[in-house]
Amino acid sequence: MHERFANAYDPFVIPYMIGLIFVLAYLVIALVTVIKNIPMSDRKKMLRHLFSFKIFITIKDIIADCLLHIKIWKKNRLLGYMHSSIAFGWFMLIVVGHIEIFFFAPHRVNLPYYPIFFRYFMMETESTMKGSLFFFLMDFFLLMVLSGIALAMIKRIRRRLFGMRRTTRLKWNDQLAMYSLWCIFPLRFLAESFTSHISGGGFLTRSFGMIFDWFNQFINNDALIRPIWWAYSIALMVFFLTLPWSRFTHILAEALLIFMRNAGIRETDKNNGYASVEIFSCSRCGICLDPCQMVSSASLRPMATVDFTRNVRLRQHKPAMAAASYCLMCNRCVQACPVGVNSVRLKLNLKGASINYRYPNRYDYVETENSKKSETVTLTPQVVYFAGCMSHLTPKIEQSMLKIFEAAGVNYTFLDKDGGICCGRPLMLTGDREGSEQLVARNTEAILSTGAKILVCSCPICYRIFKDTYKLEGVQVLHHTEYILQLLESGMITVRKSARKGVYHDPCELGRNSGIYQQPRDVLYRVLNLQKNAYEGKDALCCGHSIAAEGMPYKKRRMIARDALHKMTEQPVDMLITACPSCKKAFAEIGEADIRDIAEIVCEQLVKRP
Amino acid sequence: MEDTIVILGGGPAGMEAALSLAGRGHKVYIVEKTGSLGGHLSRWDRLFPQQEPAQDILEELLNGIRKADDKIEVIYNAQVQSVKRRMRGLEVMLSNQQLLLVDALLVCCGFELFRAERKEEYGYGIYENVLTSADLEDRFKNRKVLCSDGRVPERVAFVHCVGSRDEKVDHTYCSKVCCVTAVKQACEIKELYPQTEVFNLYMDLRMFDRYFEQMYHKAQSQYGVHFVRGRLSEVSETADGKLQIKTEDTLLGRPMKLTVDMLVLMTGMQACAQTGELSEKLDIKVSPSDHFFETKDLFLKGNYAHAKGVFLAGACTGPKSLPDTLQDARSAAESIHRYLTD
Repeated sequence: MHERFANAYDPFVIPYMIGLIFVLAYLVIALVTVIKNIPMSDRKKMLRHLFSFKIFITIKDIIADCLLHIKIWKKNRLLGYMHSSIAFGWFMLIVVGHIEIFFFAPHRVNLPYYPIFFRYFMMETESTMKGSLFFFLMDFFLLMVLSGIALAMIKRIRRRLFGMRRTTRLKWNDQLAMYSLWCIFPLRFLAESFTSHISGGGFLTRSFGMIFDWFNQFINNDALIRPIWWAYSIALMVFFLTLPWSRFTHILAEALLIFMRNAGIRETDKNNGYASVEIFSCSRCGICLDPCQMVSSASLRPMATVDFTRNVRLRQHKPAMAAASYCLMCNRCVQACPVGVNSVRLKLNLKGASINYRYPNRYDYVETENSKKSETVTLTPQVVYFAGCMSHLTPKIEQSMLKIFEAAGVNYTFLDKDGGICCGRPLMLTGDREGSEQLVARNTEAILSTGAKILVCSCPICYRIFKDTYKLEGVQVLHHTEYILQLLESGMITVRKSARKGVYHDPCELGRNSGIYQQPRDVLYRVLNLQKNAYEGKDALCCGHSIAAEGMPYKKRRMIARDALHKMTEQPVDMLITACPSCKKAFAEIGEADIRDIAEIVCEQLVKRP
Repeated sequence: MEDTIVILGGGPAGMEAALSLAGRGHKVYIVEKTGSLGGHLSRWDRLFPQQEPAQDILEELLNGIRKADDKIEVIYNAQVQSVKRRMRGLEVMLSNQQLLLVDALLVCCGFELFRAERKEEYGYGIYENVLTSADLEDRFKNRKVLCSDGRVPERVAFVHCVGSRDEKVDHTYCSKVCCVTAVKQACEIKELYPQTEVFNLYMDLRMFDRYFEQMYHKAQSQYGVHFVRGRLSEVSETADGKLQIKTEDTLLGRPMKLTVDMLVLMTGMQACAQTGELSEKLDIKVSPSDHFFETKDLFLKGNYAHAKGVFLAGACTGPKSLPDTLQDARSAAESIHRYLTD
């Protein structure tokens, strides 16, 4: 094999080079911007990670996630194959292409366009057969990419084959980038086939090349060789030039994201450089669309996470804010995301950043509320009970809990019996971290002053902030499902089992967001005939009444609640049991089924001690 | 040839419409799902605005029906099973397998009271001394309104707009009659127990009809009923079995806690449960905003449903007071008569 042209140059490489230089410059600027926008400690972490052994784990992760797309395979094999054939095939074409240069034209290593247009610049000789392995490999990976592209085209028409009910709608920027990407490989295939009688080729390009040779008797297809190489080069250029505004930034951003994450960098309460890497890592694959109940139950397609990230990227503040204020923050999309973009955190930070005025001394009153409280506590209680505002609106839950405490003979104090102070999580969910912290400080003081060692709360919304944010030294924080299980297991209360059938609804804040799945089930097995449904555990549905979604109208919330209730009660049951006052109200307001809290049903089934 | 009309529902609207149509020489069937006529009217003690006994009005309607027994036939414990359209008129199959061939159909299925349990924060079904306006009316019949422990209540609060003008329960409309009913019942409590303190927690007081405003004045000047503008947020029970309610006095702009012995929830009206099913059988429209039946227009076709030969009267087309319902029934009879004689 040797070179056809002494100058190793043809004008058709110019478009490609323009695109390449552009995209490299863009990448350098992007990387510098990201590094500039993260704290010094994070930069140090990145540097340390680069020179540690852990870098190999990162490389393994990048190969698994960015090239092989293992996570997507788990969702749907066809979808997985589509992604990995394009990514891995393309990557291997680049790698093998470079190895080829090392073997056959080592003096051209410094020409960045050479491996891309290699077949044009080389011609077959007697010794070509030595390169047959490369011919085979290059054709094999080209075929792999072509099959992926074909599937991508089919996906646009028949997405159900790929396990997706919905997919993203593309705007012009994404369309241009996608169509140019789709063109690159078929054009490369044509160009290499047309040139294969000179350059040689493998099973794919040479075979098709022979067919094209046959056409030579009618038209001189040698004249087509250069135009096709031109077209190939132009397709590459268009792709590179549109890349920064398209979803394909994810190809490189995701690798950076994995690197940063493995270096120990975490999202903070500000949308900084790490957050922008997350946003640019979104490939708009649309996997998050099907889990989103705003989309499936309430016709709120424009509020979907996949469009939120695009709007943030394109600096469309208004629609991005709207999506942030509608989002239920149920985390179903975050859980489904193959890239692991924590979009809920991004939305929270956006909400927080857009609060531009706070009333001074808003929470002065909480001081007086607390001073009242401390007088009433005389004997040190074992348990401090915090019902929370939502439980005040569902007095049956409160009542049941008090009866359970009494049945167990526990010495407790009811911290917010007479109102009391909000736990602070609703404010946090509006993005008002500052206001929330004031409430947290007051409540911490009140809880610690009781001297109790266990804090029991009835509302998972409160539970989460008590667990994640409060610093309650020496106090065990329990949701009442956990506490009731402890009481049952230690024999402090006993229950009889009822024959009634029930299904359990996992509240987002308790299940997906706090990992409490088994405890409520362990309790419910003891009190009734617990039935399974298709939406349990991590796949649990949101009730639609999340306090995070302050922008969502009731009509939409109700649509989500009704749909979720219908899905969970497809088989006839006597009641639906949940463990969150907010979920209970959401489903009860639909007025179609008997909805209970786990505390209520336990209280009903209590066996009185002799 | 005599025309035949079937009326679905034997409440005040159905009865009054039947009397009107019979008076014009038509044959009328009333299909009543329960075993007696009267609907919600039979449950009420006295009526606003002038405290007329509900029983008197009901008796008069029943007497009329009895007298016209050659023209009016009442079919009890029956409901519509299916409706078929004929060349002329309709073929109505009832749940008791009786088949009626009629020229027109009038829907008078009325309303249902909002189930107060749906607003759990108000404690209905949880605390014994939380009642609905209908429960209170039952007790007025015995002239005794006592707390669960048999005491005379020292303080009673009425909560307006329970299940009305409430986006959370998908009832964004006003039920019209609860404001005036609350004023009436507040006065009646004061008549029974002059020492009892009575509060009304309202959003707006809608004293729109004749003599209503006078009642409202009398409630304040003569009976000393307190009116507080503010919606109830939550109810809890105190250690001594009283109810502590939290609200805001929105005129003073201050949060407010009030301890009372009895709480009365003014439950609003909602479309009756069969509305959806009936609308499919009759091929008529239901309003997506309030779930009551839709009339052709609100002016000249106020009793016409969106299907030929089907008419609507009473509270099945939205909340109405009793006088409004009776008038609407007469107007429906007039519309049907015109339709049949055209």
